[in-house]
Amino acid sequence: MKDKIDTIENTETNYLTAIKDIPSNSLMKDAFLRLIANKGAVIGFIIISLLILVAFIGPYITPYDFLSQNLEMRNQGISWAHPFGTDDLGRDILSRVIYGARTAVIISISITVTSFLIGIVVGSIGAYVGGNVDAFIVWFIDLIMSIPSLLLVIVLNASLKPPLMRWMETQYLETKNTVFRETIWVDFVLVFASLALLKWPKAARIIRAQILSIRNKNYVVAARAAGVTTFGILWRYIIPNAMGPVIVLFSATLGEAMVLESAFSFLGVGVRPPMPSWGNMISDGLRVWHLYPHILAAPAAVLAIVTMAFSFLGDGLNDALNPRQWE
Amino acid sequence: MAILEVKNLETTFKQRKSKIHAVNGVSFSLRKGEMLAVVGESGCGKSVSMLSIVNLLPPAATIENGQIFFDGQDIRKMNKRDMQHIRGNKISMIFQEPMTSLNPLMKISAQVSEALIYHKKLSKSQALERSTELLELVGFSNIRELFNEYPHQLSGGMQQRVMIAMALTCDPQVLICDEATTALDVTIQAQIVELIKNLHAKLDSSIIFITHDLGLIAGMVDRVIVMYSGFFVEEALVDDLYDDPRHPYTIGLLKSIPKIRGKEVTRLASIEGSPPDLLEKPQFCPFAPRCRYSVERCWRENPVLTIVPGKDNNPTHKAACWVDTRNGVEK
Amino acid sequence: MWKYIGNRLLLWIPTVLVVLLVVYALVFFGAGDPIKLIFLRAPGDVAYNPERIEAIREAAGLNRPFLVQFWNYLLHLVQGDFGNSLISGRRVGSIIANAFPITLQLGLAATAFLAILGTALGVIAALNHNRWLDNVISAFAMGIWGVPVFVSGPLLMMFFVKGIDIMDVPYGWHGLFDSMVILPLLVLAITPMALIIRQSRSAVLEVLGEDYIRTARSKGIPNIQIVVRHMMKPVLIPVVSQLGLIIINMLNNAVLIETVFGIPGLGQLAVKSITTSDYPVILALVFIGSTVVVTVNLLVDIVFPLLDPRALSKKETKQA
Repeated sequence: MKDKIDTIENTETNYLTAIKDIPSNSLMKDAFLRLIANKGAVIGFIIISLLILVAFIGPYITPYDFLSQNLEMRNQGISWAHPFGTDDLGRDILSRVIYGARTAVIISISITVTSFLIGIVVGSIGAYVGGNVDAFIVWFIDLIMSIPSLLLVIVLNASLKPPLMRWMETQYLETKNTVFRETIWVDFVLVFASLALLKWPKAARIIRAQILSIRNKNYVVAARAAGVTTFGILWRYIIPNAMGPVIVLFSATLGEAMVLESAFSFLGVGVRPPMPSWGNMISDGLRVWHLYPHILAAPAAVLAIVTMAFSFLGDGLNDALNPRQWE
Repeated sequence: MAILEVKNLETTFKQRKSKIHAVNGVSFSLRKGEMLAVVGESGCGKSVSMLSIVNLLPPAATIENGQIFFDGQDIRKMNKRDMQHIRGNKISMIFQEPMTSLNPLMKISAQVSEALIYHKKLSKSQALERSTELLELVGFSNIRELFNEYPHQLSGGMQQRVMIAMALTCDPQVLICDEATTALDVTIQAQIVELIKNLHAKLDSSIIFITHDLGLIAGMVDRVIVMYSGFFVEEALVDDLYDDPRHPYTIGLLKSIPKIRGKEVTRLASIEGSPPDLLEKPQFCPFAPRCRYSVERCWRENPVLTIVPGKDNNPTHKAACWVDTRNGVEK
Repeated sequence: MWKYIGNRLLLWIPTVLVVLLVVYALVFFGAGDPIKLIFLRAPGDVAYNPERIEAIREAAGLNRPFLVQFWNYLLHLVQGDFGNSLISGRRVGSIIANAFPITLQLGLAATAFLAILGTALGVIAALNHNRWLDNVISAFAMGIWGVPVFVSGPLLMMFFVKGIDIMDVPYGWHGLFDSMVILPLLVLAITPMALIIRQSRSAVLEVLGEDYIRTARSKGIPNIQIVVRHMMKPVLIPVVSQLGLIIINMLNNAVLIETVFGIPGLGQLAVKSITTSDYPVILALVFIGSTVVVTVNLLVDIVFPLLDPRALSKKETKQA
């Protein structure tokens, strides 16, 4: 009867054999699997991919040119020739909806990317420089975020448009370049700039918060103590760990930007007719919906489906990348 | 005179594809006024078995089997409303983390008097009076001020005292302390243990004291049950357990308590191996892989609690083992 | 407590001033000369006479430096004088006084509706976790979440009026208790309600797992009492902070809703003033907008410590 209890030699081998082989997944793979399991998110992803696809190849597959009017065929309902009908100028609604997809996607992607770039820069500056600079940045972010978006953009639009128009006038007078006659660009630039201005604070806030919190985690402090450079920390710890919330925010911002663009076009300050945007198509449709409901229904339904898709996808991404422990 | 009698209690937890057998058919009885300790390592099922008594388990858990008699009645067969009358009223509990176990948004006065108002139908002022008595009993002096405070304004020891007072308001017949001292630092732990000892002397409630710390219960409780992997492995009066442990696990536990004073300098002892996962109900003794007394029978049959050899006229000391650990001979 | 409120006020008042300053500057430097605009807009063949314009400007004090003009504006503002509309000539104050109550009523009614129904649905969903009721409510909340009001509004309108023919076209404002208000109210409330449902649902789920709920259950009190006494406060806290954001967003949605349903409130006023460049009105609206935002934030900041006492105290623990 050996006194095994008083010795601790053999414990190691016992433990080693006791530990079974636990298969491990990388963080991204885990998240990916979770995402796939969420049916709503998958459907949302498919719809959005379809949207982006249509946005790029759309104009090449539209049956009619989205601008061509056919006054004989005004306000026709759904038919084989015109699956979505025609509007009050005889234009094919399906083609216009497809082109509207392109407007929506291009504008929202550019807005989101721009605001994220600004946000990353500002957020990183705040996090790394710290001190008064950081305090100012935080205050500034709070300020912008507390202003209702519509009001801000409307005001910017109203006040910056005249000088921009005047500038365009003078440029045209100087260079005689017809580009400066296209006043549509003014609208476009204004909406784009003001929306990008609206969205960057949120990105900056998230990035800054992520950098600060990850930098203070125990394993990062340990890495710094072991001599890892600032760049190394950034590359190996901060970026991988911050990816989760950033991806979620990116998808959410994309959806929001799309909605905002259509909201402004709806109000008449964004994309103006004849350029099709779902927003201005809806506002056109509102005038005659009682008689010709299809003019309103098509763009509205499409926009509704797209926003729902973003909602489900965003939620799925959130659950996949930031899992909570419910029972 | 048994106020509580449990027979063949089995509780499992549902996991995604498997079941965890947390409690595997345990039985015991609790006498009126007795203080019983349930001891074992983390995950052995001691909390789950006691929580099963009052049916306070998380949604993933099911009580598969067993009878629980409180004051003669099978409370497993009770409906929800009757069970609510027992909880807080006849059987009370205090938990491990006092900071999170108290509602951070409710004043102390409201929390302490809540059970009284509901169960004993007292008016608010009567309830506060009774609460004041109990809070004084556990050691508070400025009760008026205490009533208006929130849990986060108190220290850990004070919070636990509030929990104890709260549990005693309705004069329960059984008080279950689930690792009540584990989250406190050592000096506070000693204070709370003293407090519970005094209360036990003064009141006639029975107390079940769950802990993993064998050193804590000496000189405190009347009887001890040692639990391992969902089974009861030894049951004895406290002095018998310390003087004459019979189950190999108990022996290992007692030997691993570091001794400050001793004749020789020895290495820190530990029990080799680790506890089994509870995914299957073992058909053999769960401690066998780590046991140095094991014989062939241990691997074939799961031993039951029987009176230890040499004490046939003392039915209070039982162990679940096929071997007589005094001499290593199979029984 | 009062110190806390004073603190917040100190933070917010400069914010309003800064916003006003920025917008004033934008209008001032961007939009151009209001007198010239009036002349350009005047009906008929009014001569564009630079000397005359200059004289009027001098008289109206428009040649003074920017800050002086701004200060002047502020002085008038504090007395309640917002100037006159460039278009109609009426006092801006009275134009706004007509439109403001409408938007206010609509907004408050919608907020109350969505707060109560949203919280209730969220709680129900959480208490039925993983069962069909939860799945239905959650899917509904998720689906409706991003849909903008100018999409859901017309779609619902088409459905109710043309599709199932249950009502007439809702247009215009007939008072808060008229049946015409149901659809705009519903549309205004439905999207933010999704947010509240999700907030309260996840708050309840989180609270359910908390230790103090286990303690409450161990005291034997009935579940309803647990829900009301122990869970309501922790659930209401995130809901209330979301409500602040929601009300602010309502300002946005008011603009869109009023356009869709033809309601003559502040939103429609905003659109009209933008498209006609009616700067005094625009400025007044901006002022009102930021005041509302500040007030709402202040209210949330005040209510918060009432619900959560931990927000006020900074670690007043005593020794055992």
